[in-house]
Amino acid sequence: MLKKIFVLFLLTVTGVALWQSFRHAPFGENRVGDVENPETVSAFYLKHSPETLHTANSVTAIVVNFRGFDTLGEVTVLFLAATGLASILYRRKEDEEEEGGHLPVRVKLKSSTLVRTGAKILFPLILLLGIYVFVHGHLTPGGGFQGGAIIATGFLLMFITYKRFNVNHKIMVWLESLSGLAFVLIGLYGLVAYGSFLQNIPWTGRLNDLISGGLIPLIYIFIGIKVATELTNVLDTLMNTKPRKK
Amino acid sequence: MVISPVHYIVAPLAAAFLIPLLNKLYDDAARVVPGIVLGYLVVVSAVLVPQVLHNGPITEIIAGWRPPFGINLVMTPFSAILALLVSFMAFVIWLYGFRFRRTLKGGVVMYYEILQMMMTAGALGIILTGDLFNMFVFVEIAGITAISLAAFYRDRDGAEAGFKYMLLGSLASVFLLLGILLLYTQTHSLNMAQIAERMPAVAQGVKIMALIFLLVSLGIEAEMFPLNSWAPDAYSQAPSPTSAAFAAVLGVAAVYALARVSYTLFDAQSVSMFLMVMGFLTMFFAETAAIAQTDLKRMLAYSSMGQMGLVMVALGIGNETALFGALFLIINHAVIKALLFMTGSYFIYNNNSKRLVALNGIHKRLPYVSFLFSLGALAIIGFPPFSGFWSKFYILSGAAKRELLPLIIGILAITIVEMTYYLRVIGRIYFGKEETEPASHKPSINALVAMTSLAVIIVVLGLYPDLISGYLHKASMFLLDKQAYIQNVLSVK
Amino acid sequence: MNSFQEVFIRYRELMEIAVYGVAILLILIGLYAVLTKKHLVKVVIGLSIMDAGVNLLFVGVGYITNHTAPIFSPGYEDAADKMVDPVPQALVLTAIVIGFAVTALALSLVIRLYRHHKTANIEQLNSLRW
Repeated sequence: MLKKIFVLFLLTVTGVALWQSFRHAPFGENRVGDVENPETVSAFYLKHSPETLHTANSVTAIVVNFRGFDTLGEVTVLFLAATGLASILYRRKEDEEEEGGHLPVRVKLKSSTLVRTGAKILFPLILLLGIYVFVHGHLTPGGGFQGGAIIATGFLLMFITYKRFNVNHKIMVWLESLSGLAFVLIGLYGLVAYGSFLQNIPWTGRLNDLISGGLIPLIYIFIGIKVATELTNVLDTLMNTKPRKK
Repeated sequence: MVISPVHYIVAPLAAAFLIPLLNKLYDDAARVVPGIVLGYLVVVSAVLVPQVLHNGPITEIIAGWRPPFGINLVMTPFSAILALLVSFMAFVIWLYGFRFRRTLKGGVVMYYEILQMMMTAGALGIILTGDLFNMFVFVEIAGITAISLAAFYRDRDGAEAGFKYMLLGSLASVFLLLGILLLYTQTHSLNMAQIAERMPAVAQGVKIMALIFLLVSLGIEAEMFPLNSWAPDAYSQAPSPTSAAFAAVLGVAAVYALARVSYTLFDAQSVSMFLMVMGFLTMFFAETAAIAQTDLKRMLAYSSMGQMGLVMVALGIGNETALFGALFLIINHAVIKALLFMTGSYFIYNNNSKRLVALNGIHKRLPYVSFLFSLGALAIIGFPPFSGFWSKFYILSGAAKRELLPLIIGILAITIVEMTYYLRVIGRIYFGKEETEPASHKPSINALVAMTSLAVIIVVLGLYPDLISGYLHKASMFLLDKQAYIQNVLSVK
Repeated sequence: MNSFQEVFIRYRELMEIAVYGVAILLILIGLYAVLTKKHLVKVVIGLSIMDAGVNLLFVGVGYITNHTAPIFSPGYEDAADKMVDPVPQALVLTAIVIGFAVTALALSLVIRLYRHHKTANIEQLNSLRW
């Protein structure tokens, strides 16, 4: 009872504090300011995304170029989460025997013919959509993270439909490592050639062309591959509790 | 390619992505590569730190956009010294654990090595970045690796410790995000220098809220009372090299973030009282809890929290002498606590028990390790010939300059508490009656080298504090000089 | 002040309550779940709800009335001054991914705890209380 009161008190205080402090940033107010003579970072990005980088989607320009270092960190967080997950859920042979050799839950389930056929048809389409989303990340809403997540949902569909569906771990490890490495190498190319890590090449093409924005689409494709493999890995580890063969 | 601060982040990242591939070609790659990378980081520090100390701060822009618009890394004298400390300690900890880890079975060694190395990268990122949101990303990198490492051993209660840390860590990240968002709405910037520059125009109420959000979240990471209940569990459940790294790598970064936020983003005066009170409470509760512990690693963990509290007190006092003491204490704590965890883990390894009772008379079996442990224990209490003495001395004289008599008495009283439990352990080691005689595991040569080098640092810094005090003075002066930081970052084109 | 302006201001206030209010409410609901729920999975769900609230707040803060998405599609090449703030949207992308990573890690810890203790009740896992 005392705990409940304390919790309610805490929630009220937090809520009021949040509400009061965000009232200082009225909803819908224009805080970006003049785009031509940028005072704020947002105005600067809105100005230089089409003018300098020739990238139609300015969010992509921010994620991949202006604040690309954040994104590299973000990809690393995903990678580390997958690694941590694998290390936490790693099972030795002894554990297996100790728990009576339980099979993973999903093996007990059997999905209907309708679901299995549907999944088979949808799977390539989902992959295609995912690839489309990350290839067009610099032109339309979406990008590497979104596309990667879409691809992973495709794998999720296969995991829950087919009880013995397994991804090829070797290919996954290679894709995962190489795409991450490619991101770092592109960054290093900027450092070596132009003096600053992750710097874009000067050639950025024409606004709204498929090949535009310099290295931005390339980086986003690698991010897409990386995210897709990483998320699939996470799903695989969480669903497949059998010991992994090295 | 010229060596620049970005190498601190890129080298471990590239290695982390490479290790899964290399491990397929060569079985021991996962154990060797992090050592090469961390060694390289020590070299990078050896090149960059003298530059920073002699020619002033280095600001490196990333992605070719100048500071307020792009992300930048800033190496001030303060962060340079901490970066050197973190990379050196990470390397020593790797060296220490090199053979230890052979006892791990299966393919988990690779996960362990990647996580341990990336924890260092996250800590270095926190120390070097000049961008608030980028700091959040690195806090998360460090946090996720720390959670996974705390839960690493399955035959202990690791998962529980990890879950506890995860809960508090997620709260910390939510608060950190809210604080960043609040500052962003008011200053339209994420660059710390520009936020600091625009801070005077921000409404007082918003400023206080943002400060509370940031301090709460960084306080969780820096083991501030009452949000530090994760610390003893995480320290005691993690593998021993990781416990050492929690103190020597993660703790350093957390305290740095706290210092940077309170000194650069906000006014030191406005947080002074808060930091002093919270720091003192942290110290008080941690050290009194440490007395009651029956488990060696938990005792050391509580002692760590106590030291963090003392650093916070020193940051709160806020004059140059105290900051000098704080920086010295951060260095001391990293070195000494790492040594204590390293030696302590050999006791545990030999006894197959973490209990303090099992330490009785262990010096007969492990004379050298016992000697190093006692040296570390004496140093951390602040016994005169060792380095710990100087940090405490300067913090106290900083407090004396501000005429904070109750604080001085409090710190001295807590030191007596600290002395009690450390001397009790030393007493057990040397004069306790031996009960059993289990098989002895002698420390391996690499662990001996690691531990001895730390002990040498403790003694040398204790006898000749002047070797580094000039640099530390410079660094603490620079931390106080907010305008210089803003100038340095924003004048880069 | 004519009636149209009045309606507009009223509308803005309403939207403020709708967006900020809901976002803050989500944060509070999540916090409540984290603080009071006994089941580990429910605690993790609480964390996710809290993350969702923060993310919504981010997007809400970046919104500008009557402005469009910050994408320079054909026909919108010169509409830079008619676009919402792109920065919070980019930040929220990072925040979502990190939130996902933490949630996945949390669930794996829950799985391990459940395997070890054969229960997911938080009150029965107290071997580490201080």
